[in-house]
Amino acid sequence: MAKIKYTMVIDLQKCVGCGACAIACKTENNTQDSNGVHSYNWSDFTFKKEGKFPDVKYAAIPVLCNHCDEPACMEGCPEPKALYKTDDGITMYNYRYCVQCRKCFEGKTACPYSSPDLSKTDAQYSVISFNEPGTTTHPFYSDKKALIQGGTGSPAEMSMKVNALPPDKHEYSYKDRMKPEAGQKTRGKGKLADVRADGWVEKCTFCIHRVRDGLNPYCVDACPSNARIFGDRNDANSEVTLLLKKHKPKRLKNNKGEFLGANEKGTGPNVFYIRDFKPQSKNA
Amino acid sequence: MNIKRKTFLKGMAATGALFAVNGPIFNSLALAKTSSSSDGKWLPTSCQGCTTWCPAEVFVQNGRAVKVKGNRYSKQNDGVLCPKGHLALKELYDPDRVKVPMKRTNPKKGKGVDPKFVPISWDEALNTIADKMMELRKNGEPEKFLLMRGRYSYMRDSIYAALPKVFGSPNGISHSSICAEAEKFGAFYTAGNWGYRDYDLSNSKYVLIWGCDPLSSNRMIPATIKRFGDMLDQATVTVVDPKLQSSSAKAHEWLPIKPGEDGALASAIAHVLLTEGLWNKEFVGDFNAGKNLFVAGKKVDESAFTEKETFGLVKWWNIELKDKTPSWAAEKTLITEEQIHRVARGLAKAAPYVTVWLGPGAAMHVRGGYSAMAVHALSGLLGSIDHEGGVLATAKIPVKKFPSFSKYQDALAKKHSKKPKIDQRGTKKFPALKNGKSGGGVVTDNTANAILQDDPYQIKMAIGYMNNFTFSGTGAERWEKAMEKVPFFAHITTNAAEMTQYADIVLPSTITQFEKMGFVKTKANRYATATLILPVVKPFWDVKMDETEIPWLIAEKLKQRGFSNLLDFFQNEFKDPETKKKPTNGIEFTEYNLKNQTAPLWDGKKDVGGDKLNGWQDFKEHGMWNSSPYKFKKRWGGKFKTATHKFEFYSETLKTALGKHAKKHKTNIDDILKITNYEARGELAFVPHYEAPYRHGSLSEYPFDFIDFKSKLNREGRSQNLPWYYEFKKMDVGDMSWDDVLQINPIDAENLGIKEGDSIKVTSTVASILVNAHLWEGVRPGTVAKCYGQGHWAYGRFAAKDYQNAVPRGGNNNLLMPNDYDRLSGSSARNGGFTGVKIEKV
Repeated sequence: MAKIKYTMVIDLQKCVGCGACAIACKTENNTQDSNGVHSYNWSDFTFKKEGKFPDVKYAAIPVLCNHCDEPACMEGCPEPKALYKTDDGITMYNYRYCVQCRKCFEGKTACPYSSPDLSKTDAQYSVISFNEPGTTTHPFYSDKKALIQGGTGSPAEMSMKVNALPPDKHEYSYKDRMKPEAGQKTRGKGKLADVRADGWVEKCTFCIHRVRDGLNPYCVDACPSNARIFGDRNDANSEVTLLLKKHKPKRLKNNKGEFLGANEKGTGPNVFYIRDFKPQSKNA
Repeated sequence: MNIKRKTFLKGMAATGALFAVNGPIFNSLALAKTSSSSDGKWLPTSCQGCTTWCPAEVFVQNGRAVKVKGNRYSKQNDGVLCPKGHLALKELYDPDRVKVPMKRTNPKKGKGVDPKFVPISWDEALNTIADKMMELRKNGEPEKFLLMRGRYSYMRDSIYAALPKVFGSPNGISHSSICAEAEKFGAFYTAGNWGYRDYDLSNSKYVLIWGCDPLSSNRMIPATIKRFGDMLDQATVTVVDPKLQSSSAKAHEWLPIKPGEDGALASAIAHVLLTEGLWNKEFVGDFNAGKNLFVAGKKVDESAFTEKETFGLVKWWNIELKDKTPSWAAEKTLITEEQIHRVARGLAKAAPYVTVWLGPGAAMHVRGGYSAMAVHALSGLLGSIDHEGGVLATAKIPVKKFPSFSKYQDALAKKHSKKPKIDQRGTKKFPALKNGKSGGGVVTDNTANAILQDDPYQIKMAIGYMNNFTFSGTGAERWEKAMEKVPFFAHITTNAAEMTQYADIVLPSTITQFEKMGFVKTKANRYATATLILPVVKPFWDVKMDETEIPWLIAEKLKQRGFSNLLDFFQNEFKDPETKKKPTNGIEFTEYNLKNQTAPLWDGKKDVGGDKLNGWQDFKEHGMWNSSPYKFKKRWGGKFKTATHKFEFYSETLKTALGKHAKKHKTNIDDILKITNYEARGELAFVPHYEAPYRHGSLSEYPFDFIDFKSKLNREGRSQNLPWYYEFKKMDVGDMSWDDVLQINPIDAENLGIKEGDSIKVTSTVASILVNAHLWEGVRPGTVAKCYGQGHWAYGRFAAKDYQNAVPRGGNNNLLMPNDYDRLSGSSARNGGFTGVKIEKV
């Protein structure tokens, strides 16, 4: 039996650019608020705006980690690699091997869909976010100041009151498939279930914890337009395979909204886009 | 795998198999374990982030709400929500929520004046309120008590109707007309339903969206999002909106109309449909001789045409349409003649499988009631009213009426609750003709003026719940002054909002979606729904339910002071329908009240159609009830609730209503039209027609038409304290994350010397706001657009830039928009280019 090759197809005609996927992802994966440098949005958007009034074109394009066949993030990652591919094609991160070299999102070998500092680029998102060493995750909930003394709460009080960081933290766990071999040296700290700690890189996991349980990534189920389809591209009868056959798919080239040309392979992204935000033609 | 499971569940819901003979599958059981690594329970409730009022579910782990989705049984959202639903979690865990009751210790009231709130007990808070109320009764002036309602559920009548009226005041004042009434006016005075329409989008072949972005707002968001992609294949989608938004960005055709000229476009489309013989003959009828006599500029003999389901077509033609040619309209609307022809012919070709979606942008103008009628009348001409693929009314939701409280009103209450209401509805200049009745509807925004004028009398005490009129009312500064003037105000609220800054007592309320109990009614996709609001988590602060628990507690306090009528009513009339037990506290009262109202849906006594529920527990576990689908052509055959029982192109219904209002004020209809600022005189007042837009501010001094629009992320005005709102503000077409921008065309910006991101001052005839400029081709030169929502100077640490010093983050559109109305409906004006603004770089 062929190996599973997880793939996501995003139907841009169905997508209405509402943002439900991006926000739902934050509730599923407990990602923190943007700090201006890193977005921590595992699911995000890029936009295309062209033309002059009244012939204006606008498109919202949902983006996430492309779970590439030849991920650049992994290429530059020093051995033993913290970034690795699972048997079914998900690009994962193992904090134990991470030396915080930043090569996965910064410099020549960086992921083409990531930027080291979103405040200094015209890119609209970054797949990889970094928790700088020595920082606190969810720093918002460290604030102890109340607006009205005794009358309203503070973020820290809110978090303590319900004993969770963030207060709406979704508890989940998954098994890292790549255990260190006996005697192998590991680095880093923190618990795997936390998904993140300072010094960690973070990005979309294709909701591996759900996929392993036979569920869709959460953005797929949360999408109100059914624009996201997830499945196995090695299965000839899967919906993703059929859609890719039916439509002419595109794949993103970078995090500036450009698509790969017909003969370009790029890093072999496994997120495909079909159709257009605005249909090409119609007998209007 | 996963996909199969999802399809399976959806399939089950679609066939109603979830309510099969083998017994129901409960929400809490069906997906108790979505994942071995993510234990918890999905519990049903409802989302009230907008007025779609989606049946929802919340994933609860260890007593915490962690995820939100649509209710799996919903035939409207099919288990998925729009982005607003997911944002709700952060509202529950907003650190700036009011934790405990508070009282003001600084008697001085005003914007930027620190109320110096201090925490108090519920007992002290309620005693203070009850003492103030009893004082009014003692002085024989209970009408000077005002209850203001904001966002509500159908538990509203305990606090909104019974509390003031059993106490002795007529003043239950709702928020309704600050957001919608002109739209309902259009539907009522043509088709006879004062309410929102439903649309059969799945079967439409032409969808004409007019004055709204149904992917962002306007009452059936997930249902529309779900269908939009397929609609683009199966139908022609056209959007009339002065600015580019999500649906117009995706649509086949965009008509960027000049603000306020909607009536001209509607009349011209009707003109084309008639002159080209394209009206729907099955619905409208035809000329007796078969030959089309509608020729531009020429009157037609009424007897030459025989109508079927409609009334007054030829009158409408003769009075309004005969001269309303596309070339006339092109000048007004700035839409080309060619485009007007193309849209009219496209509609006709698809008719009657046509949806003309009437949104507030086409209606909430000064004089906008008539453009709402004009747009809605197109659905009549196209025969799409109640037709498959067309514009529908709502299937019935057979819940019980709130019990009568009249026998609990003593002589004082009976007399004083009949006094005129504070909002001046029904006075000569405020016809507010809801349901055909002079003063039948609320004039919310005028309440501030009435308070300031002490007309018809002084308001000495007010209670408000889930409302924030000092932020959400137009001419917002009037509300600030009015609230300064009210001697005693108690605010039931989740956050220290702008309105709260004027409060003497602050009562912290539950967050609806997670902590409250109640129900709401909603519709979409042919199904009407009753959906429960249920407490899925225990409140972690000392908060209570606004609409039922708090009035119960007030009733107890009134009884302690010798006035037991309200508590007697609550105790006697809200027995548990199953055990017949009387409620003994506010929580029991809430549950018995809810059970009483919804009993027909679950008690099995009568077949009410739709989902079959097996008792109260079953209802609670499902969280909702779907009706049977709305029956097509339901009102055909003379069953429209109009004066003629037909779809009226000549509104006998409006003629009667206006006549009664004029008679009440001992004058004629033309005089009423004059004082209420309409152009029409004589017969024109009874047909859908064009009225020139009324504008505050001269073109020379205020050269830009200001457009107010709604965010995908606005949980009404309540998401601006959530960081995710700012992070994803970019999802609103033409907006920027972490900013509040005025969208301005680059040509205009260049003329003004304004560059991207410049800080600018936007000034109308009433106020100025400071925002940043965003240069964007999605707005017509001469118009500027800004999203409603930001500009809070209170509410919380993110909402306000500086809460302590009342410094707003961004600018509130309601400061800019002057206080004016579509007076026939009572609706506040918000759209139609009625606000002229000037822009200066700062």
